[in-house]
Amino acid sequence: MGIKLYKEPELENPVMFCGWPGIGNIGIGAIDNLRAVLKAQEFAEIEPWDFFEPRKVSIERGLLKDLEFPSSKFYFQRISNQDLIFFIGQEQPAEGRIKYAEGKKAYKMANLVLDVAEKFGCRRVYTSGAAVTQIHHTVKPRVWAVPNKQSLIGEIKQYENTILMSEIEGSGRQGAITGLNGLLLGVAKKRGLEAICLMGEIPYYLQGAPWPYPKGSKSVLEILTKILDVRIDLRPLDELANTVEENVEEFLESLYKAEAIPPQVRDEIEKLRYARPTEPGPITKEEQNEMMKHIDELFKEGGWQDEKHP
Amino acid sequence: MKNILKFSERPEFQNPSLIVGWQEDSGKLSPKVIEYLNKKIKGRSFCEIEPVSFFSLAGVAIKDNIAQFPENKFYYCERNDLVIFKGSEPRFERYKFLNAIADLAQHHCKVKELYTISGTISPIAHTSPRRISAVFNQKQFQEKLQGYGLQDMNWEGTPAISSYLLWVAKRRGIPAVSLWPEIPFYLAASDDFQAIKLTLSFLDKKFNLDLDFNELNEDITNQNALIEQLREEDSEINKYIGMLESELSISEEEQVELTMKVTAILEKS
Repeated sequence: MGIKLYKEPELENPVMFCGWPGIGNIGIGAIDNLRAVLKAQEFAEIEPWDFFEPRKVSIERGLLKDLEFPSSKFYFQRISNQDLIFFIGQEQPAEGRIKYAEGKKAYKMANLVLDVAEKFGCRRVYTSGAAVTQIHHTVKPRVWAVPNKQSLIGEIKQYENTILMSEIEGSGRQGAITGLNGLLLGVAKKRGLEAICLMGEIPYYLQGAPWPYPKGSKSVLEILTKILDVRIDLRPLDELANTVEENVEEFLESLYKAEAIPPQVRDEIEKLRYARPTEPGPITKEEQNEMMKHIDELFKEGGWQDEKHP
Repeated sequence: MKNILKFSERPEFQNPSLIVGWQEDSGKLSPKVIEYLNKKIKGRSFCEIEPVSFFSLAGVAIKDNIAQFPENKFYYCERNDLVIFKGSEPRFERYKFLNAIADLAQHHCKVKELYTISGTISPIAHTSPRRISAVFNQKQFQEKLQGYGLQDMNWEGTPAISSYLLWVAKRRGIPAVSLWPEIPFYLAASDDFQAIKLTLSFLDKKFNLDLDFNELNEDITNQNALIEQLREEDSEINKYIGMLESELSISEEEQVELTMKVTAILEKS
C-alpha cells in the first residue's frame, strides 16, 4: 500500500486542495474544476488495490487486458509564485457496504494524502464538500467553513459569502463532518498542519438526487479563487448550474402535477423560495423530516451522507 | 501473509499447477468439479486461509438445513504436480485474500500455471454443444493451450473473482487461465452435469488424470431423461427449449417459467 511518485516537482510551501465525490459532488466539482482550469500536471497517485474494488475488467480475444480501479491522483501547478497541489479521488474508501469513508481504510488514505502534503512542505490543506441545509435551489448557496485551528477563524471571517458554525441558527456552534473531508481535517490537526473545509450549501431535498449541484461548487470556487487571487472563467459552471436548476424545477413541477408528493410538502419547499439565507429556516425540523420521507423515496437509494448535517 | 495461511503439512512440490474452484457457482460447476477431482486424485488438505477479516463471522449462514462456514483449503495429491484450492468468495479484503492464494502458489508451491473454474450462464439449450470460454493473463500461455478447444472470450464489465485472481497472478508473472464453461440459464440453480463433465474432460486431457466418467455419464443421461419427460408433458416447455435449440430467444417471462419448471423437476428427483 503506497504512493507512486511519477516525478518529484520542486515546490515551495504549496497549498493542497483535496476533492472526493460526495453529496451533489459539490467539493470535487469545485476542486477538480480549479485543477482543470489551472492545467495542473499529474505527478503521483495512491495505489488503489488496498482501498477499492476493481470497477471494470477488459478482456479482448481471450486475453486479460486490464483491471480498472478508482483513481486517487495528485497534481501540481505554480501560479504567480504560488505552488499548488491538487488531490482528486474518484471514490472515498469505504469498508463493507458503507458508501462513505470511515474506518481503517479511510484513516490510511487520509494519512497517505497528508504524507504527500508534508513531503512537499505544504503549509495548508483545503478540503471541500456539501452542507445540507434549508435553502431553495434558486437561492445562491453560502459556504460553511470549518478550520482545524482557532487561529484560522479571523481569516475565514474575511471570506465573502462564508459562515462559521457559530453563525448557523440552531447549530449550537457544533456539528460533525463525516467522510474524508472531515477526517482529513482531524488527521491534519494531529500532525499540526493547518486545514480548512469549505462546504457549499445544497437544499436538503436534493441531497439524495443523482445529479450534481454545480451552484454549490461555484460558491466554493468563488472563495478559492479569492484566496488564490486568480481569475477563472466561471461561465461553464454557471451554464451547468442553470441547466440543473431548470431540471430541478421541471422535476418538482412534474411531481406536483402527478401529486407524487403531498400538497403540504410542496408548500414547504415553496416557503424556502422566498426565505433570505440569513434567516433561520422557515420550516420546522418536524416539517423537514416529514418532507424528507417523501423526497427520499423519490430518489430511491438516496445518496452520500458523508458531509455536514446540522 | 504469515498469519493468513495456516499449514497442517508441508508437502514437497515439483512446479505443480494450481486449480482454483469456488464454493458458489452457476450449475454448481466449480464446487462439483473440485469435489470430483479431489475424490479421484485422493486430495489431502495441507493448508487453509484463516477466515478472519475476509468473512463476516457474526454467526453462520444456513443452507439446505445445514449451518455453513467459509472454507478455504488447499489440497495436494501424491502425483505432486497438482494443487487444488476450494474456497468461498471473500466478502471483504478481496485483494488481500487473492494475494494469499498467489503467495502460496508462488512461494510455497512454486506453481507453473494457475487455472480457475467458474460457470458462465448462457442462453443455450442443454442439448446444444457446450463450449468452454477462456481468459488468459499471458499470450504465451494462450498459445500453449491452443488445441484444447477453448474459445477466446471478449468482455468488459465488473470483474468476477476469477478475473481478479488472474490479474493478481499476472502482476506476479504467474501464467493463469480462467475457464468459463457455458451453463444453460435454466440449469444455473441445479447441477449441470454436462458442463461438469466438459470441464473435467479438459482437465483430464491437460493433466493426464485418467478420470472415469461412468458416474457422470449416468447423471447426464438421467438429467436429460427428466427434462425430456417434462418436454413431453408440457408443450410450452417443449416449445421454449425447441426455440433455444434453434438459437431463437425467448422472453423474460418464458425464461422464468422454463427455469422454475426445470429446477422443480430436477429437485424433485
